[in-house]
Amino acid sequence: MNYTFQFGEALKELPYLLGGAIVTLEIAFMAFWSGAILGLAGAYGLVYGPRWIKRSVGTYITFFTNTPSVVQIFFLFYALPEAGILLSSFTAVTLGLALNSAAYLAEIQRAGFLSVRQTEIDAAETLGMSRFQMLRYVIVPHIARTIYPPLSSFFIWLVLGSSIGALYGVEELTGRAINIATSNLRTIEIFLVTALIYVVLTLCASVSLGLVGRYFFRVKGGLLR
Amino acid sequence: MAHLEIDNLCASYGNTPVLKGISLDVEKSEVVSLIGPSGSGKSTLLRALVGVTKPTEGTVRIGETTVDYRSAASLRSVRDSMAIVFQQYNLFQNMTVMDNVTIAPIKIKKWNKAEVRKHAAELLERVGLSAKHNAYPDELSGGQQQRVAIARALCLRPQLLLLDEVTSALDPELVGEVLDTIRDLARDGMTMLIVSHEMGFVREVSSRIVMMDKGAVVEKGPPAQIFDAPEQERTRDFTARILSH
Ligand SMILES: Nc1ncnc2c1ncn2[C@@H]1O[C@H](COP(=O)(O)OP(=O)(O)O)[C@@H](O)[C@H]1O
Ligand SMILES: [Mg+2]
Repeated sequence: MNYTFQFGEALKELPYLLGGAIVTLEIAFMAFWSGAILGLAGAYGLVYGPRWIKRSVGTYITFFTNTPSVVQIFFLFYALPEAGILLSSFTAVTLGLALNSAAYLAEIQRAGFLSVRQTEIDAAETLGMSRFQMLRYVIVPHIARTIYPPLSSFFIWLVLGSSIGALYGVEELTGRAINIATSNLRTIEIFLVTALIYVVLTLCASVSLGLVGRYFFRVKGGLLR
Repeated sequence: MAHLEIDNLCASYGNTPVLKGISLDVEKSEVVSLIGPSGSGKSTLLRALVGVTKPTEGTVRIGETTVDYRSAASLRSVRDSMAIVFQQYNLFQNMTVMDNVTIAPIKIKKWNKAEVRKHAAELLERVGLSAKHNAYPDELSGGQQQRVAIARALCLRPQLLLLDEVTSALDPELVGEVLDTIRDLARDGMTMLIVSHEMGFVREVSSRIVMMDKGAVVEKGPPAQIFDAPEQERTRDFTARILSH
């Protein structure tokens, strides 16, 4: 192999790339939190709602987990303007990922609801807890502990998955890497540096999520043992 | 005067009647045991007494007070005077042993925290778990979890303790430690209503035994009567079948 690596160009663009990494995190955060809240409502409906709610939420989940998110975002980006709704590419991508995440996060949170054991509820009731105290001391902590690990992995997945934004011209980390590569042609170096930034992002996220999980939710495993 | 007086208590699941007019008394410092085939309604009776399953008919009196299971205030006072331990260990999985034992007195009753913790430490010592204050339930054996559940019930200083087959989900070698704890309580004069299939233990610890079948009381009497000279055919069959195991 006679390719000579020249990282000089890539490193010069580091601040620009890091700015992209911030956009990546913004997309992941916003999609995650709106997806989690929508998903919470969906999970509640799936477990406690009347039949028609269960059906509608079920259909939603089936649709969003069985079509590629690329296609979902295409729809938001190109079909909605026809209906007079104009979205910036950033908004379309974030919204698309949020709607997609909502489906997965509804399933995760539903499993959390179902993991609450009737025996613990009985115990709480006979110890004299009110409904609110039961929620606060027994049900919510239990659900949080159960769903914390899959939620963390999902967040990491979103950090990486937000690179889909590059397809629509969003200037997040991957988008900016493509921009630089097409202008200076140091493609290999640029993408090596970009990959490294992704690794650092996800490692930091894993470690901090792991610490939070260990100290607040008594979750074992992950990167920290 | 009876400490707990149950008169004609009925309960159903949906439209199926499960308790069909149960009457029985428990005196202060007495241990009364409920025996009977599986499905006869023993658990339902205990659950009805603490209002987890709502009785449909009949009266329950604790001391001088008649319980109204539809009134939240009355239910609170029932749960102040009675504590129950279920067959399945139902400790709160997200809390340490100490928090399991103290959460109700501290957070719900708002009793003095330092005193409650001191009392809890004594109770845990008594059930042989002083080394486990900071353990979580999933780090304990079934027998240890069940002893924590007993300590948790006692920490509310109940006048009456209800125990529903607290040993039947345990491995045989763990049964003894839990029975020892209950024996200890009986010796100290704790008033208890117990469901158990451990016939040797029931005979030794109870002052009276109530035989139930199909949601009704078949026979009541002292252990000697129930085991040696039962008046009812069904009691004889049941004890013979259990003792032959
Ligand atoms: N949650 C429930 N829903 C419907 N039926 C129940 C429920 N729990 C118990 N039963 C029925 O009530 C009857 C009495 O049950 P139980 O009180 O558990 O009996 P035991 O404790 O003596 O074995 C049984 O026929 C049982 O099938
Ligand atoms: Mg039972």
